[in-house]
Amino acid sequence: MRPMKNGPGIASSRRAQARLGVAMSMPAVILSVAFILVPLVAAVYLAFTNWNGLSANYGPFTGLANVRELLDDSVLWAAVRNNVAWIVVGTLSPLVISLVLAVLLWANTWGATLYRLVFLLPYVIPSVTIGIVWSWIYDPTNGWANRLLGDVGLGFLQRSWLSDPATVLYCILFAAIWGATGFCTVMLSAALQRVNQELIDSSRVDGANGVRQFWHVILPQIAPVFMTLMTYLLIGGFSVFDVVFVMTQGGPDNASNVLGTYAYTQAFVNSQIGYGTALALLIAIFAVPFVVILNRVQRRMLLQGLGA
Amino acid sequence: MTRHPSAATGDLRPGATEAPLDSAMSPRGVAVTSSETRRGGQAWAHRRVGMLRALKHVVLIGYGVAALFPLTLIVSTSLKTISNGESDPFGLFTSFSFTNYSQAWTFGDFSGYLLNSVLLAVPSTIVVVVVSTMAGYAFARLRFRGRDALFYLVIMGLLIPFFAYMIPLFFELQAIALLNTLVGVDLVLCATCVALGTFFMRSFFSDLPVEVEQAARVDGCTEWQVFYRVMFPFVRAGAFGIGLFVFVQNWNNFLVPLLLLPNGAYRPVTTGLYSWIGRTSDYGAVAAGTVIAVVPVVIVFLLTQRQFIRSFAAGAVKG
Repeated sequence: MRPMKNGPGIASSRRAQARLGVAMSMPAVILSVAFILVPLVAAVYLAFTNWNGLSANYGPFTGLANVRELLDDSVLWAAVRNNVAWIVVGTLSPLVISLVLAVLLWANTWGATLYRLVFLLPYVIPSVTIGIVWSWIYDPTNGWANRLLGDVGLGFLQRSWLSDPATVLYCILFAAIWGATGFCTVMLSAALQRVNQELIDSSRVDGANGVRQFWHVILPQIAPVFMTLMTYLLIGGFSVFDVVFVMTQGGPDNASNVLGTYAYTQAFVNSQIGYGTALALLIAIFAVPFVVILNRVQRRMLLQGLGA
Repeated sequence: MTRHPSAATGDLRPGATEAPLDSAMSPRGVAVTSSETRRGGQAWAHRRVGMLRALKHVVLIGYGVAALFPLTLIVSTSLKTISNGESDPFGLFTSFSFTNYSQAWTFGDFSGYLLNSVLLAVPSTIVVVVVSTMAGYAFARLRFRGRDALFYLVIMGLLIPFFAYMIPLFFELQAIALLNTLVGVDLVLCATCVALGTFFMRSFFSDLPVEVEQAARVDGCTEWQVFYRVMFPFVRAGAFGIGLFVFVQNWNNFLVPLLLLPNGAYRPVTTGLYSWIGRTSDYGAVAAGTVIAVVPVVIVFLLTQRQFIRSFAAGAVKG
């Protein structure tokens, strides 16, 4: 045993730690700086230009012209409305459905492991494939949506789902909900496994009924996981791209356009690099405050949970 | 033994009973067992529990069917002969052939896409795990100047949506000649996942007791040995979980290769599939391509599902 308490030992260990610390964190720092921070800073600059992607000087610098254009852009605000609808419906419905399913899966429900496995499958497949298979389901002539409606005598509801501006967004959203709900279910179900059984038992002794038990004893204990899922779904709602791009590319007539697809089209189809960058930055400007607030709330919940 | 982050979630608790569910489900479940347990009451309660249990499975199976139906649709369509696929593309397959698969494999170039997906997802996953394990340890356990600032710099990636910086990223890669290259896409995939990996690895390492580390130092380990020989084995399962998650993310990633491989070289299965639906109107061939794109990731998921679910759950608690 070497004495570590005297001065030089600690000093050399400190120095060795500092050296190793810098060396070991550097690869992560370099990756983040090179491929996130640098382009992010460049994005803030480009958002104030009218660059077309070709001219050498990244110009011309146009100041607040893009911001003024943003405010007047009706396509943008239609896209923002679609994002808001996506965020509200696409966050609440997976959470509600998965909460119900997770409660049903609770404890040793027969076959719980198999159920979890099946529910999680839609989450592991690429979103491109989700887009493709749901386009088939919505297919006006051969698709199962219309076929099933016809079979149950609701033929009058049949339509070409993805070419109808009134339904297109919600049809894509439905596919995305299908993809996300199983994941939420498995997470909530794992959280329920960890709920303190003694608290439930003692609340039952105290005469709490099932609903009150769920509300006052169980829900607070799974709340942190609930918040994580909410954050995950909210971020997804702001930055949705894949399914929309694959299924409709934002059409028909922008009816399913969201910020992500609009920014992508402006930048890479219409070569409006400056304006496209401003649009894309808008996603971050909308999303970041939500993420920060939700994270705060969740941290407070975790602290309270530990205090109890 | 140790309070391992991913072990902390535990197994799927076979010991628990169904009681909490039923009482949570039925508003009067408690009253039944406590006061109404007279003659007949018990049998009645018993039957009600049985019915609730059956109802529960009806709902669960219903959702299971909904989850599996689109997947079945893909597989069924992919197995049809061409004439069957043209007349009735989405009905259950009545004919059987692998024509669609050979179509997708050769004409659709899915053999190439599959290879590219492997070359994009595997190296980036390995790099992310290695880089974020090291960074997570440094941020959790080692003292050095600027540590907190660097940590926030790295996990900033969790906060910033990819969209915010994707357009300049395209031109940055163009400028350093990494556009349309595997290396460029691999590096970007790494950068987008390093924040997440570092965040979790740091919290895993933070949970380890300081005594382990001190004992190793007293025994004369160098700082590297403390990390690699002593501390790392405790978080190996967590690192594996992150690896799984990152692999699935990167295999499924669509936007990064769409953006950074614009000339069509090195397409992975995701953007390959997207270009395939533009090139063929044959549902069967598209379905076969879809199956090829999905199968590897589903196999990985099925082989590791226990670990997969466990590390997901551990991650959610850490948040």
